[in-house]
Amino acid sequence: MTRLAVLTLLAVLPAGGAAQRGDWPMPAKDYAATRYSDLTEITGANAGRLRPVWSFSTGVLGGHEGQPLVVDNTMYVVTPYPNVLYAFDLTREGYPLKWKYRPAVDPNALGIACCDAVNRGAFYADGKIVYNLLDGHTVAVAAATGKELWKTKIADLSQGETTPVAPLVVKRRVIVGASGGEFGIHGWLKGLDLETGRIVWTAYNIGPDSQVLAKPGTFKPFYDRGTELALTSWPADVWKNGGAPVWGWMSYDADLDLLYYGTGNPAPYNPEQRAGDNKWTASVLARRPEDGTLVWAYQFTPHDSWDYDAASEMILADLTVNGRPRKVLVHFDKNGFAYTMDRATGEVLVAQPFVDVNWAKRVDVATGRPVVDSTKLTGASRGNVKEICPTLEGGKSPASPAAYSPRTGLFYLATNNMCMDYQATQATRIAGTPFIGANTPYHAGRGGYMGAFIAWDAAAGKRVWQTTEPYPVWSGAVVTAGDVAFYGTLDGWFKAADARTGKVLWRFKVGSGVVGNPITYTGRDGKQYVAVYAGIGGDWFLLSGDVRSDDPADVRPPADFMPDIARHTSQGGIVWIFAL
Amino acid sequence: MDFRPVALALVVSAACQGHETAPAMRHEARVFAGGVAPPAGAPLASENPFRGDRQSAAEGERTFGVMNCDGCHGGGAVGWVGPSLRDGRWRYGGADGDIFQSIYYGQPHGMPAYGGLLPPTAIWKLVTYLQSLEPPANVPTESWR
Repeated sequence: MTRLAVLTLLAVLPAGGAAQRGDWPMPAKDYAATRYSDLTEITGANAGRLRPVWSFSTGVLGGHEGQPLVVDNTMYVVTPYPNVLYAFDLTREGYPLKWKYRPAVDPNALGIACCDAVNRGAFYADGKIVYNLLDGHTVAVAAATGKELWKTKIADLSQGETTPVAPLVVKRRVIVGASGGEFGIHGWLKGLDLETGRIVWTAYNIGPDSQVLAKPGTFKPFYDRGTELALTSWPADVWKNGGAPVWGWMSYDADLDLLYYGTGNPAPYNPEQRAGDNKWTASVLARRPEDGTLVWAYQFTPHDSWDYDAASEMILADLTVNGRPRKVLVHFDKNGFAYTMDRATGEVLVAQPFVDVNWAKRVDVATGRPVVDSTKLTGASRGNVKEICPTLEGGKSPASPAAYSPRTGLFYLATNNMCMDYQATQATRIAGTPFIGANTPYHAGRGGYMGAFIAWDAAAGKRVWQTTEPYPVWSGAVVTAGDVAFYGTLDGWFKAADARTGKVLWRFKVGSGVVGNPITYTGRDGKQYVAVYAGIGGDWFLLSGDVRSDDPADVRPPADFMPDIARHTSQGGIVWIFAL
Repeated sequence: MDFRPVALALVVSAACQGHETAPAMRHEARVFAGGVAPPAGAPLASENPFRGDRQSAAEGERTFGVMNCDGCHGGGAVGWVGPSLRDGRWRYGGADGDIFQSIYYGQPHGMPAYGGLLPPTAIWKLVTYLQSLEPPANVPTESWR
């Protein structure tokens, strides 16, 4: 077991109690967000014999992002809106339900969530399942009984805030954020008390230091100097509706006592309405979990002109970079660059493109800033700017988190190979309605394929192998000590790949496109199981209207850039479990 | 037009605070665009006074963009997170007055009420724009080679 894994277990056990080695108690399995499992039963030699052992229809259509949890022989599944929570008894034949929890969720959230009514999962801590309802509430439910323990309103639908993000629980704090980069929210992170649900602190991502919780002597960004950075990098008052949502994944380093998360895009998409860097949008922030104090921050895409949210996970690893052992975080940004950073200080050590990138020539690690190609800058006065790579779906979607294997030293991730045109327009902020201001059609990138599953060496900043896919790849990844990586595809295949070569070892058609994240766990019988959701959604079912069949009052044509995806999948909502 | 964010709004019924003693949740509330509730006693006209008028349709199309309708229903009303409004099919009724009411009062699955921001005339022109969109031919079969 690696030192990191030990630290992770130590961090989990006091809060988790019942979580065992083979369990999957939090979205990324551990606080380092590795999505790495040390289970070894499934290997490259036997993965070809995997077979489905169980499936369950969630009864809900729509994007099944996120992942199940497994704790103490119980599997917990959160559906997209209306956010039903199921608890399956893995000790009994057929895995019957122990209970289900059906909360009241305001359906108005359906019109405020920008891009499908998804949920990214729950967190197990101290006998509680904690998760967010789409309409701006966090709930804690007793893991044993399904009884609601508390419910706290954290977000305001009328201001465009919804809450698909998965919480992170650390040091008795439930850390949550809100989506709404397309609605002009004033983005924030909150820390709730695990016992009562009380909101203990609120830290804004943009605005004055007093709201951002950037305190003199404590806040020490590596590249920036001065105070009020998240205020002075905006025109007056524009920051109040400047976006910076929190909708991706969080991680935590117990040694440094730092919580890491990325922020989303600035609002609106038309950058001419918000001169300046627009800190801390499209950034990584490092905070103290107990009181939210900001320790450092770094902006990946200053004055974002392409909707490059930085909501992707920050994976914590110990790597040797340029001959020196470093405690790093690794981040695959929507903007197409993979960043390897010193996680104590926020210094960029390596920044290299992991897909085709043309909005910037490179990232200058001395200044931390991208060297932008000015012909790719967008704005209402610049008309339709053609051929920008990657698209606003991201070189990698933040919705599909990567995995890291300390055995291979490699990161595994789903990528998109697409480019876009970007026609910005003037946008008007009207609370509770979209605040966007751009039309951004997509097309396939170089090579004609639209996605790939890749392995990445974050110390060198190099791709090691890739498996191309015809469609954008939007599932998360898991990698195991058996050196097998798992991922799913938009056209509905679930695949096992050799973690060292990328060779596809096995695949199974799961009934709907995969936008969720696979997990693996140990059953009561000691066997290794792998679970994943099938259920195409997010932007993809919105773009390709012909994958939808449930609404006779809403019939749409196929997407022009992938006109045949509906040949291979339609909407669904299925939990699958596989084993040897 | 300049609509500054109007302080807080409606949206969630009090019942939504969700304690054990709370009554069953009711979903009658609408989101009010800009936080402004539609005036009470909405006009009850059931026929679109501008039906078929191209100038009114063009004005309605501009309003469709300015009021951020396209942010949910897509440019050209082809559908995004909100339904397509040009497929000739309607969740809440496609008669003149039905479409007007959906815009004026909103609908409970997230369609904001615009009656507080837009006068009835502007809403009728929006209706006129939507009615001007020719639904595609109804081709129920999609096939691949």
